[in-house]
Amino acid sequence: MKHGPLLFLGVFAAFFASWVAGVLAPHLQIGGQSLVQIDDLGIQYPLDRTGEAKQGAQVYRAQGCHYCHTQQVLQEPLLSRLTLTDAGTNITDAVAALRKVRRDLDADAATELVRHPPQVILAHAGASATDQATRLLTNAGARVESTIANLGPDLRRGWGTRRTVSRDYLRDQPVFLGQIRLGPDLANLGARQTNTTWLLRKLYNARIDLPGSTMPRYPYLFTERRLRPGQAPSPDALALPSEFAPPAGIEIIPTREARQLVAYLLSLRSDALFYEVFPPPTDQCRDKTGRDHERPVRPNLVPRP
Amino acid sequence: MPPPVAASLAPAAPADLDRSCRWPVLVLGGLSAGWLVFAAVLGVLAAIKLHAPGMLANIEWLTYGRVQPAAWNALVFGFGALAGLALALWLMVRLSGVPLAGTGTILFGAAVWQVGLKLGVLGVLAGDSTGIEGLELPRYASPLLLAGYLLIAPWALVVFGRRQRRESYISQWYLVTALLVFPWCFASGYVLTSFLPLRGVLQAAAQAWYLQQLWVLWFGSLTLAALFYFLPKLTGAAVPSRSLALFGFWTFVAFGGLGGLTRYAGGPFPAWMLSLAVVGNVLTLFAIYGVGANLLPSLRAALSRLSGNVVLWFLGFSLLAWLTAGVLTALNSLATVRHLTHFTLVTPGLDQLAFLGGFGVAALGGLYVVVPCLLGRDWPSRFLATLHFGCAAGAVVLLAVAFLVGGLVHGAALNNTDVAFLTVAKRYLPFASTGTLAQLLWLVGSGAFAVNFLWLLGACARTICVPAARALVEPLPAEGKA
Ligand code: HEC
Repeated sequence: MKHGPLLFLGVFAAFFASWVAGVLAPHLQIGGQSLVQIDDLGIQYPLDRTGEAKQGAQVYRAQGCHYCHTQQVLQEPLLSRLTLTDAGTNITDAVAALRKVRRDLDADAATELVRHPPQVILAHAGASATDQATRLLTNAGARVESTIANLGPDLRRGWGTRRTVSRDYLRDQPVFLGQIRLGPDLANLGARQTNTTWLLRKLYNARIDLPGSTMPRYPYLFTERRLRPGQAPSPDALALPSEFAPPAGIEIIPTREARQLVAYLLSLRSDALFYEVFPPPTDQCRDKTGRDHERPVRPNLVPRP
Repeated sequence: MPPPVAASLAPAAPADLDRSCRWPVLVLGGLSAGWLVFAAVLGVLAAIKLHAPGMLANIEWLTYGRVQPAAWNALVFGFGALAGLALALWLMVRLSGVPLAGTGTILFGAAVWQVGLKLGVLGVLAGDSTGIEGLELPRYASPLLLAGYLLIAPWALVVFGRRQRRESYISQWYLVTALLVFPWCFASGYVLTSFLPLRGVLQAAAQAWYLQQLWVLWFGSLTLAALFYFLPKLTGAAVPSRSLALFGFWTFVAFGGLGGLTRYAGGPFPAWMLSLAVVGNVLTLFAIYGVGANLLPSLRAALSRLSGNVVLWFLGFSLLAWLTAGVLTALNSLATVRHLTHFTLVTPGLDQLAFLGGFGVAALGGLYVVVPCLLGRDWPSRFLATLHFGCAAGAVVLLAVAFLVGGLVHGAALNNTDVAFLTVAKRYLPFASTGTLAQLLWLVGSGAFAVNFLWLLGACARTICVPAARALVEPLPAEGKA
């Protein structure tokens, strides 16, 4: 390469292109997103946090909780579960249709299924398989119902009821997506944990309620207060089991920061439902854990009571 | 002030070139050695905290969420950036055959950078971090770093512009790339996350882009500049194909910066962003092939000369680590692999393999060559240098094993919802201890380097100071006899 300017320009152009693709284009695409009006609840989602919780977010930042905890829920492509709710009047047609949908069933098993609705017909099927089955069965006069079936590990762990989407983070500054899960995901902590005392104890020493926990202690978010003889213990004092309790006459009081942090933790939830949160449909029925593969459900031959 | 035209016409001798950049390179190199040791101490602390959560838990400044980013910033901006700048200046001067100008400005820039980084790391330890991984330096520190950089780096580009031969060297291409990349990605990253923050997850997109430029284009370019200069020099085998080098360079520049978003695969971003990142990461394999095919043969040819040549060990190891990290990163961006490695330490592990194993080891090897040239005196202890290599290489290998194997175990457990979360966390513990061992090794190696460096400086100071002091004390013999 003889030409210095060419080198400069080439590097500059490549660099600019990657910046446009990685930063500018996404900004143009979703930078103008607005809050979601959820009419049923009469709210604008995401909700603004209380002042205390906002300060708590700053405690979370300063303590670096996000080096161990993520705040994002992942979900796999959409799969559905199809349930036969009513066989209709023409049992023969329904059985024939069912055997087209479920080629693994013999006539007896299919008849048995059709006779005793409701029955799950497809457990984890992609969109087009579900559509086709629905068409076949409804044409035969039967009625079916489809529900979302796939969860993925995050949802199965109870870390959320749906995946998180970009709108969930509109009010966060900074955004604590996190990259490593040395601890559980916290995107919906407030939805599964409402106990302030439990959270304060977790911060004081995670091993109180969960022996062997690898989460760090945050004792400096609490102060020790010496009780004068005869003084009644403060209602704020942390109730601790004896092996973690301070010596008699001393009580552990959460600092303002600890309370703010807990207020923030309680405010963490991204479970409102709106159009953006439904995962895109797909025909692939993949779940790398090997559990959710599209697989015919064994017919439930025991009639329901 | 540009030197007179006549001076730039006459080719300068290496000794003159070295003299022109002696102070800037020594000061930058010395500061980076200091940060190397400091970062290693913090790194050991952070690593221990992962498997011994009770250790020093009472000290707010040393909680995991603060030591970890403090160690990272000290390593990347203290050791990495300063050593990289030192090498960039020296290589550019050598390759261009033009003495360095702007020495005073560069030294001032180094001071500004140093102050900024000290403030920044203290700020992170005090809880002022911005909360964005990789961009933690508080607002009162990050502009200082950029200012320091802008006082230092342009002088290397000035030297390049005045180069003797119009035909440029491969290393120079990579140096120019590195020098241009850093201010842009640093400014974009910090401005868009802490000064004029983008909304919501776009901050994370800006961060992912910044990290990609930092790891791949900035440190990657510096690594390759060092490798393309030192490996052929040390092995005596010329780079076989210039066109392959050109191909490798341009594919590197074009695709290397695209792959950032795989860190947030499956996250709340438009789907095309992830597809683009995967494509970018996979296409970067072309660049890796270009580099490997050009440099591996020279390494193979030099196998017989390997014994006793510590510097060659450093550079050979760095080449292998860099290539491995590149291939594994491309692999890690594929959906099936990512499903297993997501949210584990695999991705940071690959970053560390490329940074410590690739860049760090190459830069250290480079300093082992450069510093004696500048001081006109060899390293006082061969043993310490060999020890350093053993520790550094051992640390990188151990760290890679801890992060990659540990990450896979951790990922498999995370995906298996029959395993309770605490068990998931505990499966990683043995690997966390391995990580501590690796950090300790790295610390020992860094210590050996620092001692050797100080020893060398001390020896030089003695040769300069002792005669001068003696001259002060003893009466001038000439006077009486005249
Ligand atoms: C070194 C990594 C680490 C850091 C740093 C860390 N945690 Fe944890 N955290 C864990 C682990 C591991 C668990 C799971 C074990 C447990 O529940 O104790 C956990 C569990 C939790 C839980 C319970 C979650 C649940 O679903 O039951 C909460 C709440 C929590 N952490 C909050 C925090 C907060 C707030 C911070 C910052 C002040 C923080 N963590 C910092 C590792 C960490």
